[in-house]
Amino acid sequence: MINNIIKYGLYAVILVLVQLLACNNIQFSGYINPYVYLLFILILPVDTPSWLLLLVAFLMGLIIDVFSGTFGLHAFATTFVAFIRPTVLGLIAPHDGYQSSQSGLSIGSYGFKWFLIYSSILVFVHHFVLFFLEVFRMTNFFNTFLRVLLSSIFSVLFILLFELIRRGK
Amino acid sequence: MRNLLNFLAKYNHVIVFILLESLALYLIFGADNYHNIKFYKGFRGISANIEKSVSNSRYYFGLKEVNDRLATENNVLKERLAMLTTGKEYSTWEVIDTSLGRQYCFFEGEVINNSVNRQKNYITINRGQKDGIDKDMAVISADGAVGIIVASSKNYSVAMSLLNIDMRMSARIKSNGYFGSLSWDGVNYLEASLSEIPQHVSINVGDTVETSGYSSIFPEGVMVGVISDYYSSGSDFYDISVRLSVDFKKLRHINVIGNRLLEEQTELESSFE
Repeated sequence: MINNIIKYGLYAVILVLVQLLACNNIQFSGYINPYVYLLFILILPVDTPSWLLLLVAFLMGLIIDVFSGTFGLHAFATTFVAFIRPTVLGLIAPHDGYQSSQSGLSIGSYGFKWFLIYSSILVFVHHFVLFFLEVFRMTNFFNTFLRVLLSSIFSVLFILLFELIRRGK
Repeated sequence: MRNLLNFLAKYNHVIVFILLESLALYLIFGADNYHNIKFYKGFRGISANIEKSVSNSRYYFGLKEVNDRLATENNVLKERLAMLTTGKEYSTWEVIDTSLGRQYCFFEGEVINNSVNRQKNYITINRGQKDGIDKDMAVISADGAVGIIVASSKNYSVAMSLLNIDMRMSARIKSNGYFGSLSWDGVNYLEASLSEIPQHVSINVGDTVETSGYSSIFPEGVMVGVISDYYSSGSDFYDISVRLSVDFKKLRHINVIGNRLLEEQTELESSFE
């Protein structure tokens, strides 16, 4: 338990730093901003209590908000992702179910394809909520949607890269 | 009672979810002023310091370019000085003298945080209230208009960039003097759009767009950009794309302009609204 707190605390710090110092400075053609910090919510163990998941997600979002000057935007989006995470996990459950364990989810848990689907769904939902909440208007719907799509692709790529590094370690 | 408790136990995560999301929404929409929330102010110091060191290291690698730009600006100023001393009239940069002295006061500063990839971009500047910077001052760079100060703390201030979908600015076409409203549609950080120019006016690609001075924030005649494209839509007005003269991606040195008579003007105007 204590081990887990230290482990995930460390991941949180690393991901926040990577997000703020590296990813927030990556801007392909002004359209794309990858959000890698979302990986933190993806890798928490399956049996994390829902309320804890929500709270951790909210705090993570709030930290990103504070340092990038976007009031509550990320907090809202990450909390939303944390809320639907159990449902998504249920939808794409492997045949023999999840092994209930304290160890977190990773690219190695249930295969590459499973992780790709899992992260793509949650990243897309997160970006959709985030970008539309930021703009808060329906004019230019397709333009915003394009930004959601492109940023999602890049976020997923970066998340997969991060996962591969984490597994190789 | 038992049922209620069971219900709460079963749906506790929904309740936590609703509470947290309401809090997030409150943070987004309840904060009408950019920097109003108390806890945010506390963090601002830390994050501004981090931003400053990151920005400093980035600055170091761009020094050569900054040097070149300063040299060019220097040249331009020297030319202007030469024109002034020889008695020639030079009307592009107008500083109006009134009985109160200068109408506009200038402050120099540096950008320490900036973005172009959001829909609502803001710029953080390393000058604040202790340097005399306040809300509703104009921010310009050597190339042209940059934004408007929306909040300032003791040491820092935050400006709403032209690249913000909430930004509206009065701008006019230099060649014919017709003015319209300049805004950004959130797509391309190099281009803004100018609306409300009636279709009977003849305009050309390459025409200069500058500030009109009607907003009382920007002085008259600050460069904004050039017309890069225009077409007539079904309405009575043109859709004009303006290529911004400022490259927001490499913004560093800026000037803040305060209008000493802003308060007087708005006070007088407000009595007719």
